[in-house]
Amino acid sequence: MKRFNFYLLEYAVSYIFRYKSKNLFVFTILTSLIFILGSVFFLAESIKNELHFSVDGVGDIIVQNTKAGMHTTLDDTVVEKILDMQGVSNVESRVWGYYNFSQNNIHFLLLGVDEFEVHNNPLIDKVLENVELNDSSMIVSSGIKKLLEKSYYDKYFNFILEDGSTVQVQIIALLNEIIDFEANDMIIMKKELAQKIFGFENTMVSDLIIKVGNPKEIPMVAYKIQEKFPNTQVLTKEDIVASYEHVFNYKSGIFLTLFIVGFLTFFMIVYDKASGLSSEEKKEIGILKALGWRIDDILQAKLYEGFLLSMGAYLLGIGIALAYVYLLGAPFLRELFIAPNALTQDFRFSFTLDYETLFLLFLLSVPIYIAATIVPSWRVATQDADEVMR
Amino acid sequence: MIKLLNVSKRYDDIIALKDVTLQFNEGELIVLHGVSGSGKSSILSLIAAISKPTNGEVVVDGDTISMLPDHFASVYRRDNIGFIFQRYNLIPSLNVSENIIIPLIPLNLTQDEMMQKLEYVMKTFNIEHKRDVMVKKLSGGEQQRVAIARANVNNPKIILADEPTANLDKKLSLEFIEVIKELKSQNRTIVIATHDPLFFDLECVDRFVKLENGIVVS
Repeated sequence: MKRFNFYLLEYAVSYIFRYKSKNLFVFTILTSLIFILGSVFFLAESIKNELHFSVDGVGDIIVQNTKAGMHTTLDDTVVEKILDMQGVSNVESRVWGYYNFSQNNIHFLLLGVDEFEVHNNPLIDKVLENVELNDSSMIVSSGIKKLLEKSYYDKYFNFILEDGSTVQVQIIALLNEIIDFEANDMIIMKKELAQKIFGFENTMVSDLIIKVGNPKEIPMVAYKIQEKFPNTQVLTKEDIVASYEHVFNYKSGIFLTLFIVGFLTFFMIVYDKASGLSSEEKKEIGILKALGWRIDDILQAKLYEGFLLSMGAYLLGIGIALAYVYLLGAPFLRELFIAPNALTQDFRFSFTLDYETLFLLFLLSVPIYIAATIVPSWRVATQDADEVMR
Repeated sequence: MIKLLNVSKRYDDIIALKDVTLQFNEGELIVLHGVSGSGKSSILSLIAAISKPTNGEVVVDGDTISMLPDHFASVYRRDNIGFIFQRYNLIPSLNVSENIIIPLIPLNLTQDEMMQKLEYVMKTFNIEHKRDVMVKKLSGGEQQRVAIARANVNNPKIILADEPTANLDKKLSLEFIEVIKELKSQNRTIVIATHDPLFFDLECVDRFVKLENGIVVS
C-alpha cells in the first residue's frame, strides 16, 4: 500500500503560513460567510422545530375568549357545550400564562394541570407519571431551578398574588430531560394553584384545546364554535402554523435575499483572491516542476492547502454559528426573524443539529474553495516549467 | 549519453536554436559559450526536459526524452537531472534545508533517508551552518551553494548549470569551479552554459561548444 506523503502535507501547511496575509484574508472571509450562513440556517431550523413542537401540543382547534379585541379568560362551562358538538372527541381546558420573575425580569411559563385529564401534549402525562402534585408544589425546569437557586430559592418559591400577598410553592421535582430540553422556562403545577397565582376565578381557564375525530371536519367544527360563541377566537392548527410561517417567512425571505447578494459579492472576492496566483506563486510552481515534481504532486499539495484552509474556516464558522445561536440566543438576527408579538415573544431556540444543513454548508464552502485553488494551479502546472519560470 | 538531433527551438517569434546536433558522453564536462541569446540556456532546458523542442529529438541514455509526456518528464528530471539555475531559483520564503529537500518531497522517503541525504549535501557543499536561515538572507555565494546542494540532493548523473558564476565575484567563482571539479571526479556528466572567461582555461573541461544565434559554430 502506498504510504501517505506527510512531506506534501507539511509543504502545504508551510505554504499557507508563507502567504499568510492572503490566506488570512481568505480564511476570515470564508469563516464569516459560513458563520452568517450557518447562523441563518440554524436559526431557521430551530424556528421550524419549535413551531412543530408548539403546534403538536395544541390539538386541532384552540378556543380563546376575547373582550374588546383582547384575549381574556374563558368560563369552562362551555366545555360541556362544545363536547356535545358533533365531531368533537375531546376538550381540554388549559390554565397557563406567564409569571414575571421581577428580580431577573424573566417570564416563567406556568402550566396548570389536572392529573385526571387527558393532555394533548403526551410529554405532560409522562412528567406526571411519577410525581404527585398537591396544592403547594410544582415541577420546574432545570433552567428555572438554577435561576431560583441564584436568588436563594433552592427548595421553594414565593409567588406574589394579585392582592400583594404571597403563596409559597415547594419544588418537588424537575422536568424530565425531553420536556426540559424543549421548554426550559416551564413550571408545572396543579390547575387550581395556577388559577390562584394568575387571579383567575375557579371556573376560568386560559383556553380550550379541542380534538376532532375526523381531520376533514376540523374547519366545520371551528365554524360551528365561532358561530355559537361569537366572542371567542377560534384558531385551527392550520391557522396557527400559517400565522407562525407568515411571521418567519417574510423576515427570512428578506434576509436571505440580502444575504444571497452579499454572499455572491463576498464569494467573488474570495474566488478572486484564491484563484489569482501572484507571479511569485506561479514561479514557485515552475520551480517545483523543474525540480521533478509531477503535476499530480503539485495538485496534491494544493488540495491539502485548500482543504486545510477551507475545512478550518468551515469548522470555525460552524462552531461560532452554533455558539451564536444556541448560547447567545442570536442577538440581532433574532430581531430580524422573530416578530415581537404575543405568539413569539418568548420564543426559545431549541438545539437541533441538522446534518443536511451541515452538509449543504460544507458543499458551499470546502469543495468550491478547493476547486478555486486547484484550477489555477493546474493551469500553471500544465505549462512548461521553463515558460512559467521565465 | 546525451544526444541532440537536429533540434530547433522557437519561442513565439524568436528562434532560439536552429537545427542543432550535439552529443555529450557520460562523465564529460562541457562548456557551452556564446553571447546572451545565443541559445545556451535553451539547450540546458531541453536536456532537462523542462521545455520541448519545436523540431528534432533529445535522447538521453537511449530514451527520447523530448517526446515524454509531462508526468514522465518530471520523473526523468527527478531521477537524472540536477539543475543549477542562473538566478538559483530558490524559494525565498523557505530556509536553507527546506529548499534543499524540495526535490525529495515527492519521493516520500523515510525521515532517516531524507535527513541522511540532506546532511550529506549540506556538509559536502559547506552550508550546514546556515541550515535554518531563510535563503533571502544569504549572500550570493551562499545562495549558490544552496542551489548546488539542492541540485545534488538526488545524486543525479547529469548536472546542468546555467551561468553559474554570473552573480559571483572571482573568489566565489573559483570556489564554484572547485565544486565542479569534485563533481566531475564522481563521473557526473556536467553541462555548463556560461560566457565567463574563467572557464575557458580550465584543464578539466572536455569540450567547448560555441553558439551564435542558435547555431553551433565550433
